[in-house]
Amino acid sequence: MKESQGVDTTVDLGGIALRNPVLTASGTFGYGTEFAPFLDLRRLGGFVAKSLTLEPRVGNPPPRIAEAPSGMLNAISLENVGVEAFIGEKLPAIPAGVTVIASVFETDIDRYAEVCKRLTGVPRVAGLEINASCPHVKSGGIEFGQDPAVLGQLVRTTRRATTLPLLVKLSPNVTHIAEMARVCEGEGASGISLINAVQALEVDPETRRPLLSNGFGGLSGPAIRPIALRMVWQASQAVSIPICGIGGIESAADAVKFLLCGAVAVQVGTSNYLQPSIAGDVADGIAEYAARHGYPRIRDLVGALVFPGR
Amino acid sequence: MAEATWDDSSAGNAPIRTEAEIIRNAREGPSSWRLILRVPGWPGFRPGQFAMLSAGAQQAARRTDPLLPRPMAVYRESGVDRSDVEILYKRVGRGTALLAEALPGQRVAIVGPLGRAFPPPQSGEGVIIVAGGTGIASVYELAARLAGAHSVEVLFGARTASDLMALEDFEALGAPLEVATEDGSAGVRGVVTDLLESALDDLPAAGADFSGSTRRIYVCGPTAMMRRCADIAARREVPCIAALENAMACGFGVCLGCAAPLRRGGYALVCRDGPAFDAASIDWERLP
Repeated sequence: MKESQGVDTTVDLGGIALRNPVLTASGTFGYGTEFAPFLDLRRLGGFVAKSLTLEPRVGNPPPRIAEAPSGMLNAISLENVGVEAFIGEKLPAIPAGVTVIASVFETDIDRYAEVCKRLTGVPRVAGLEINASCPHVKSGGIEFGQDPAVLGQLVRTTRRATTLPLLVKLSPNVTHIAEMARVCEGEGASGISLINAVQALEVDPETRRPLLSNGFGGLSGPAIRPIALRMVWQASQAVSIPICGIGGIESAADAVKFLLCGAVAVQVGTSNYLQPSIAGDVADGIAEYAARHGYPRIRDLVGALVFPGR
Repeated sequence: MAEATWDDSSAGNAPIRTEAEIIRNAREGPSSWRLILRVPGWPGFRPGQFAMLSAGAQQAARRTDPLLPRPMAVYRESGVDRSDVEILYKRVGRGTALLAEALPGQRVAIVGPLGRAFPPPQSGEGVIIVAGGTGIASVYELAARLAGAHSVEVLFGARTASDLMALEDFEALGAPLEVATEDGSAGVRGVVTDLLESALDDLPAAGADFSGSTRRIYVCGPTAMMRRCADIAARREVPCIAALENAMACGFGVCLGCAAPLRRGGYALVCRDGPAFDAASIDWERLP
């Protein structure tokens, strides 16, 4: 049992044993080693690596990022080293004792499955996270996670492609998140991560153009946190598989909010850019909160929200 | 005298993240400020490196808007243990407005030093440093380290006299300094790239077979001005190093926001692979 301040901090995220409930979100933590000067990665429950495709991919032209009130927009696209370089070069550089979850991102379902197969059995990969916010080319660019039928097919196919714990990272750009969560559970997902960035647009009135070269971007940061809490709560009411809460976490108090709303674990995202040691501080702070409130185990906080009318 | 060469590999001084105390934050001219931060544990920096700064309350009421830290060139170090970090900046938007309003004794979050150093010149090479506007802040340490060991000329351009900064610091180095302003309110009326053309016309005494290979240009400033310098350098076959100033969220190779398009295709990250690049390697047409 991992303990901090007399509190059992361990959680089970769909078959992935974590020493504490704090992960870092894909795309905000590189391949892990970038944070070495700032943070001992062993303070984390684990990290989700930058999304991988079968082949290395180059991202969008600049500008790729823009600021928004208490948040930022990004449109990096698929830029990554590819699954082979991740296995051959990036994974071996990660210190021992750090739990690594690989994120998978592709443009069609068969390619998602190929990447999942390639990562299965690779030492150090504790689980997979399927990024379902990629535009589905065959459906005219709609995100995989926006259509229940397409999402179901994606989860079913990737579930068959791997024996690893399989998390599905859902798009928030849907009307009924509970329905999407149920699709994942029905198709055998081990857990759900939510939310991904919120589709957004920011404009320069002087040039009459979007600020990003891609036009749209994904909004992340504290601005989206209340939206994420709402969606995590709704999903947790709809399914019994574990949920990993993501969205604008800047402090242990923010992370606790996600646990109370039903998340078993959390991911720190955009805040890693501003405060590269923040995820470790969040992990310590959750244990302090649990100790202060008399919870012997962090997992006892999960879903403890007192919601009106329930 | 400071050493005239340094390690420009990506290895070296590992960055730190800390909350630095403001020692001084004073206006110099209508829109320029000089900030001095006391940074405990500062590991030192090499010419061309930068830091990410976030102003505003850091603890109980931590500010989230504007959210992102701002990349700032490290101007120079001072203080007994060289842990006072000096930053020159201009108040241009929300991030720098917050910084300009910060008072001595308050704290600024800093991550740095980041990025690679300028590649040092070859032994015996003459150095022409070209700066536009706040680009001057990126090249002071370069000029300071090279003055004495190399022939160094500094060419500084701005829109108008009130945009000039740090002139006295550069004059104190003893290196020739030429100024151009677009409105003629200080120095020569015109743009700094005209000064560069003239400087390159002045052949060294040996003269006749001079091919330009014994001089090197360093430039930092607005994209259009750096692009023009790159064109001039290419035409005259003089090596040119440009320090880019793209927006970025992290500064250490993770957000992938600061991508600079390369002529050979693909992108470099300004924070990790730069900020200084061989100007001929950049696809200036596609750089915003």
